Amino acid sequence: MSISAKSWLQQLNDLPLQEPVKIMNVCGGHERSITQAGLRGALPPQIELIPGPGCPVCVCPEEDVYQAMQLALREPITLVAFGDMLRVPVNVPKGEPRSLDQAHAAGGDIRPIASPVEALQIARASPEREVVFFAAGFETTTAPVASLLVEGIPDNLSILLSGRLTWPAVAMLLSGDKPGFNALVAPGHVATVMGPEEWSFVVERHRLPAAVAGFTPESLLAATYSVIRQYLDDRRFLDNCYPELVRPGGNPSAKAQLATAMDVVDANWRGIGVIPDSGFALNSDYARWDARRRFPDYDSPGRRRSGEMPPGCDCAAVVLGRKYPNQCRLYGEACTPRTPIGPCMVSDEGACRIWWSGGIRVRKQA
Amino acid sequence: MCLGIPMQIKRIDGFTAQCEAKGVRREVSLFMLQHEVLKPDDFVVVHVGYAIQKVTPQEARSAWEIYDEMLAKMDSPPDA
Repeated sequence: MSISAKSWLQQLNDLPLQEPVKIMNVCGGHERSITQAGLRGALPPQIELIPGPGCPVCVCPEEDVYQAMQLALREPITLVAFGDMLRVPVNVPKGEPRSLDQAHAAGGDIRPIASPVEALQIARASPEREVVFFAAGFETTTAPVASLLVEGIPDNLSILLSGRLTWPAVAMLLSGDKPGFNALVAPGHVATVMGPEEWSFVVERHRLPAAVAGFTPESLLAATYSVIRQYLDDRRFLDNCYPELVRPGGNPSAKAQLATAMDVVDANWRGIGVIPDSGFALNSDYARWDARRRFPDYDSPGRRRSGEMPPGCDCAAVVLGRKYPNQCRLYGEACTPRTPIGPCMVSDEGACRIWWSGGIRVRKQA
Repeated sequence: MCLGIPMQIKRIDGFTAQCEAKGVRREVSLFMLQHEVLKPDDFVVVHVGYAIQKVTPQEARSAWEIYDEMLAKMDSPPDA
């Protein structure tokens, strides 16, 4: 029988923790559960929960979104993308469409989808029309894209891939002078697909407590308890607090399909820069379905630069766990879910959007 | 996009399954679970239309009990 959230909270409050411990999560789903359940207010004040790089839409390079918009506006194609990509703003002169939504209003055939299978269905329904699937996501979403490719897709469908791996962003933070956290809660569904072993480096190389968590308050509190106990007892191991899904080695079929269709490459993260070995790209066997090769004129290296969040927007610092959402000077003032300025206020997995939806409406004074 | 929903398999045709949760039916790809033996009435966790893991009926039920509690708390629209 699982232990209730109330009982985990009691056990956490009974721990002899004196000094502050900062626990980073790297999953928008985790952050949503933490915020909705009000876990921050229920935990002892020494325990700080920090939302980290857990939002693939937020770090999707600005040039990729721009490329998708230009393809939809200038080519006779249908562009499909996961719904929360559509309102992500790019930096363009006033008067030009600044999101896929606005490109749609300007005449682009842009459609939201909820599953890669829908991209396939749309392409099959119109075999004479080119369909481009703009696929941004972490491992849990990129694996289904690989699966789609390996199962076989028609020639009129191509993939504009912005797939990212989560652990290299954490490795980058830990390799810096001030990582900003001293324990990690690892993402449950990424670990389900890729295997929990990917996160062993946190424990083995950096000697930080770590635990994989699921998405319920109970699982998140179990992981919080585990890392605090590891911290107090000076023991370090990668705990698995989501054993019902996370199994050693991960999902072998999904990993085989990723390896069949994709290479791991250096990749740009919006506002952060290039992180080594942190992106997926279609490999040479699947190059004919790569939208970047099919439409090479729209690959605009000139737009590639780090620090290209909108002016005044602290999304990059929020993604890296260096600022809380309400420490951004735009939070709740110029930037709200209705009028988002940065991608973290757009995506359901963005920390700003999650905090706003969770009722945190007051900006924290610097 | 990381939300995984436990669903029950109702019918399987090749790598495609009709799955159900809370009375809602969806077509789900089983292509990422080729290493598992799956049959109708089994439970899987579905993410963006793909089953990513098989779970026991008890695990699916307890996940739904907690999701129900969480959904009940979400009584205001997210953008309000």
